[in-house]
Amino acid sequence: MSAITETTARQEGPLPETPETPALAREDTARRHRALVLPRSPKVILGVVIVGIFVILMVVGPWVAPYSPSSTQFAASLHPSAAHWLGTTVLGQDIFSQLLVGARATLIVGFVAGLIATVLSTVIGVTAGYIGGPTDDGLSLVSNVFLAIPGLPLLIVVESYLPAHDQSNSFIIGAVIALTGWAWGARVLRALTMSLRNRDFVEAARIIGERRARIIFSEVVPNLLAVLASSFLFTMLYCIGAYVALAYIGVTSTAVWNWGTMLYWAQANNAALANQWWWFVPPGICIALVGMGLALLNFGIDEFINPRLRAAGLTRKVVRRSRLSNRPRLGLTPVLGRPA
Amino acid sequence: MTGVWDDDVVEAADVRASSAPAGITETQDGPGMPAALETVPETAPETALETVPEPVPGGPALAVSSRGRDKGAVVTPSERPGEALLPAPSEDDAVFEICDLSIDYGLGPGALHAVRHADLMLRRGRVLGLAGESGSGKSTLVYGATRLLRQPGVVSGGSVRLYSRRRGEEGRVVDLLAASERELRRIRWSEISVVLQSALNALNPVSTIESEFDDVLKAHRREMSRKTRRERAAELLTMVGINADRLRDHPHELSGGQRQRVMIALALALEPQVVIMDEPTTALDVVTQREIIEELIGLRDRLGFAMLFITHDLSLLIELADEIAVMYAGRIVERAGASTLYRSPRHPYTHGLLNSFPPMHGETRRMTGIPGSPPDLAAVPAGCAFRPRCLYAMERCGTEAPALVPLDGEEHEAACFLHSGDVAVPGELAR
Amino acid sequence: MTDNASLAPALEARGLTKHFTFRHGLLSRRGRVHAVDDVSLVLAAGTVTAIVGESGSGKSVLARMLARIVMPSAGELYLMGEKVVLGQKGRRQYASEVQLVLQDPFASMNPVHRVRHSLVRPLRIHHTAGPDLEESVKDLLRRVALSPPERFIDKYPHELSGGQLQRVSFARALAVHPHVLLADEPVSMLDVSIRLGVLNLIGDLRDKERLAILYITHDIASARYLADSICVMYAGEIIERAAASTLTDSPAHPYTELLLSAAPDPARGQPTPLPTRGAPPRLVAPPPGCRFHPRCPYVMEICKTTPPPPVTVDAGHEASCWLRLPAGERRPEASSQASLPMVRGGPGLHARKEVASRNEP
Ligand SMILES: Nc1ncnc2c1ncn2[C@@H]1O[C@H](COP(=O)(O)OP(=O)(O)OP(=O)(O)O)[C@@H](O)[C@H]1O
Ligand SMILES: Nc1ncnc2c1ncn2[C@@H]1O[C@H](COP(=O)(O)OP(=O)(O)OP(=O)(O)O)[C@@H](O)[C@H]1O
Ligand code: SF4
Ligand SMILES: [Mg+2]
Ligand SMILES: [Mg+2]
Repeated sequence: MSAITETTARQEGPLPETPETPALAREDTARRHRALVLPRSPKVILGVVIVGIFVILMVVGPWVAPYSPSSTQFAASLHPSAAHWLGTTVLGQDIFSQLLVGARATLIVGFVAGLIATVLSTVIGVTAGYIGGPTDDGLSLVSNVFLAIPGLPLLIVVESYLPAHDQSNSFIIGAVIALTGWAWGARVLRALTMSLRNRDFVEAARIIGERRARIIFSEVVPNLLAVLASSFLFTMLYCIGAYVALAYIGVTSTAVWNWGTMLYWAQANNAALANQWWWFVPPGICIALVGMGLALLNFGIDEFINPRLRAAGLTRKVVRRSRLSNRPRLGLTPVLGRPA
Repeated sequence: MTGVWDDDVVEAADVRASSAPAGITETQDGPGMPAALETVPETAPETALETVPEPVPGGPALAVSSRGRDKGAVVTPSERPGEALLPAPSEDDAVFEICDLSIDYGLGPGALHAVRHADLMLRRGRVLGLAGESGSGKSTLVYGATRLLRQPGVVSGGSVRLYSRRRGEEGRVVDLLAASERELRRIRWSEISVVLQSALNALNPVSTIESEFDDVLKAHRREMSRKTRRERAAELLTMVGINADRLRDHPHELSGGQRQRVMIALALALEPQVVIMDEPTTALDVVTQREIIEELIGLRDRLGFAMLFITHDLSLLIELADEIAVMYAGRIVERAGASTLYRSPRHPYTHGLLNSFPPMHGETRRMTGIPGSPPDLAAVPAGCAFRPRCLYAMERCGTEAPALVPLDGEEHEAACFLHSGDVAVPGELAR
Repeated sequence: MTDNASLAPALEARGLTKHFTFRHGLLSRRGRVHAVDDVSLVLAAGTVTAIVGESGSGKSVLARMLARIVMPSAGELYLMGEKVVLGQKGRRQYASEVQLVLQDPFASMNPVHRVRHSLVRPLRIHHTAGPDLEESVKDLLRRVALSPPERFIDKYPHELSGGQLQRVSFARALAVHPHVLLADEPVSMLDVSIRLGVLNLIGDLRDKERLAILYITHDIASARYLADSICVMYAGEIIERAAASTLTDSPAHPYTELLLSAAPDPARGQPTPLPTRGAPPRLVAPPPGCRFHPRCPYVMEICKTTPPPPVTVDAGHEASCWLRLPAGERRPEASSQASLPMVRGGPGLHARKEVASRNEP
């Protein structure tokens, strides 16, 4: 916000000197604006679009699904057609409806689990990193243990002990998945906090007599936001994968529709052997797309926090027009007006 | 001190000795740096007299500054005792010339003009100092001129020439802005070497000092055997005041000052004619800084290369350089001989800068520095870039950008309308 | 500045020592860095005391001990004549009297917070705000010559220049109404042309607000410009102290002399060659005797074995060098005797140090 005020102030500044300098002020403006919005690289836009579509699906999927996902009223094993865009299962269920309805549970569990895991990793990682000493030793031990235990078997064990009605509760399943997903993030955040701990501005807060908890939450954590966001995206990706895997092997309630249960039923009915690709390929593609979308979004965060990746006005068009080689070579600064 | 040089190098040294001006030859014959320290006569040059402290009772006189130094010491040109021996710099001395060089970051209307219309001339055996505040474009200028500047840097105008003096190539002129990549690779290091600003950390942490030298010599001196390479590395290291047995060390085993010396030795490994040092001593302590500068000057006297020394410490440059160019917001605003610049600055910025260094002697009185803050190249004010901070700014300064023009003869140039003849020059800028 | 009441020490350190221990290799052998050894110092209200010395000489560690950010291994602090109980307790109270300004203005401001946050926090913590918090913040900005304050109060650190940021740092320190201000190389990261502005600000704080100020630097010329007295540190010890101009005009310690000849000084026409070469010692195993002896051009036998005592060269001028004692008095015992008149901590400190250094390998 203040960046905008700054820009206007600059524009009202002294008049530029030579014909080419008005550009300076404009470039300045452009740069400052760019800092406020997400970078507009094609990668990031694609990520935003993909994730956006799936978020919409998550919200409206069950309402727009043409049929009930469980109803077995149709002919079995229909190929994709106008009536059934993705065909039907051997039980005569509409696969497109299953896909739409399943999006909600899949993404909600992923989101919940990602959120819980990120909160856990922040609290544990930042505390360990900032306080250090025996506290750090203890917390690091815990997170190392969780890192070392293979996640899926642990999840299978914990899930199978859950009461039946909890096995269909997205939030509880999410919490359980989060349990196996926080440790890596905690280690990363611990390392980052340790490097922040001795930064001058943290020391300055100590000098004015700020209390420890306040330093952690008001000085250290805000500086980790970009990393937190990035870690959230990847944890969410992991959690979606874990949830799908659990559903696929039938550990969670098979009555809840998600992409994992779709795969579970496809597998249980030998869809692959029967060549019924329309049953198991669509959920697989959806999972891959969500993963790709999240990963692309992460590029955005990277560009957002790393100003080096924001090229200084060197768009491809400008480069081409000036007849310079657009493959920059180290140790050969281009000279305008001469071929590179 | 000069040990076994390989044939190539001996030849190069011969050429230099025969073609060097008398003054420089004499210093070459003179004692090397450490020797000079011992053979100091106890005579003090007049300028230093006032700095002599009272001898303190109870011990030997600790009057450091009462020792002068013979010829071959660090002296600014006009104070060099052997001034008469030094021929006036003629065009024959020129080894590296930058003309009207402009460098941008980015292209098209969004470009940032980091250097504008800069002219510099390096002469053999002389030190040119480039001073200016952080962000004034000093590094950009030299990296652009040597075409080492990274993306998005672009040279947008001007010319850069190297007048080669290598044996067999005398009189060959290389246009650096037109040179091919191969040509540039050949010239760099062997004719022009650059010590980069962050050089303190530029050494590969996992390889030994010896292998750094080995790599350079192997790449540019194919004919050298392994043994001669090692001898040469030891010799170079000794030359910069580090014991040759440190060759086996890794960079982290050396102190900051020693690492910087290694960088200097590496830069001199192929006997370049032009040595560019970008803030080589800024990260170092005053004592280490002085040691390195003494070494550099000794080497310059002995080897006769031209040196471009970049720093923001003008007071250091005045002691070190023969000639100084002051940069502000991408332009060179004043250029003069070091002592002339110190005694009679013509540009208000130079004057302010000189008044920003508290003196080491005399009455301490309140000084003011320069009001305002250093310019942001992304928003350079119209007209003279210094106008918002200038005490003497006139109406004209806000509309026109002053060009660098000769003032009292060719050797002093300034870019300021105060000296255009239209207005009375303020006393402090007319000394 | 000469009346006695104002010269009462606002902060006094006696025998401050900091040894960092670290583990050494697999066998867990412990090593010790002698970062600061037995430093005694008096900061009086209305004066600037400068500490100069090479990098690694322990200046920052000393300042951090004085600010109680680093716990001393030994030594005592006296605030307004009262002994300070070291430890976590009372840190906040102490912080309201003694403030430290750090070297790098860009790093010492949190990039995610506005100037307002940096100034509101100390006001809140120490309840030093007036009835109108906003107005108190603006007052602070005006005190450090950032006016009009409205222009700066809502800026993020990256929108300010180094000099402006360093002023904000000072404003943050002043927010608690301290009596003692410690400034650790406050101008070394700034552009030359704006350094004087910050130095003059420090001078004004001394003259107008009568703060006791410690100014740490390696630029001896700026210490001469700003400070009333200068202490020279070498390898963790103060080796010379005197009034600012006395120290620069007639140094009594060979190291001070070295520093002076190394400092750029255009006025002298041509630089004097350095009297000696070499690097400061490793603080893990400081040399026995005088810590400067491996580099000293005047080194004598006794320098190699026995640390020199602080010797009064002149009124208010003290140097720890054997050369300063008449030849007949250069005896090991002098090491503890000569310190009597000068060091506030008394002879005990030096006796202890001598024992310690004999025990070192
Ligand atoms: N890659 C880049 N893209 C855009 N602008 C740049 C880039 N690199 C440098 N600049 C700008 O160019 C200007 C000159 O920078 P340069 O590094 O040459 O300054 P300098 O005089 O060497 O400063 P210092 O004393 O800090 O080394 C600065 O304003 C800087 O912000
Ligand atoms: N936390 C620490 N652990 C171990 N050693 C330390 C620690 N802090 C400082 N030291 C050591 O103490 C010595 C003194 O350091 P200090 O930072 O006080 O130097 P300084 O005089 O401030 O130097 P500079 O001028 O570079 O700031 C150095 O050798 C340093 O390596
Ligand atoms: S005590 Fe000895 S070694 Fe130390 S400074 Fe004095 S003369 Fe030099
Ligand atoms: Mg630079
Ligand atoms: Mg320090």
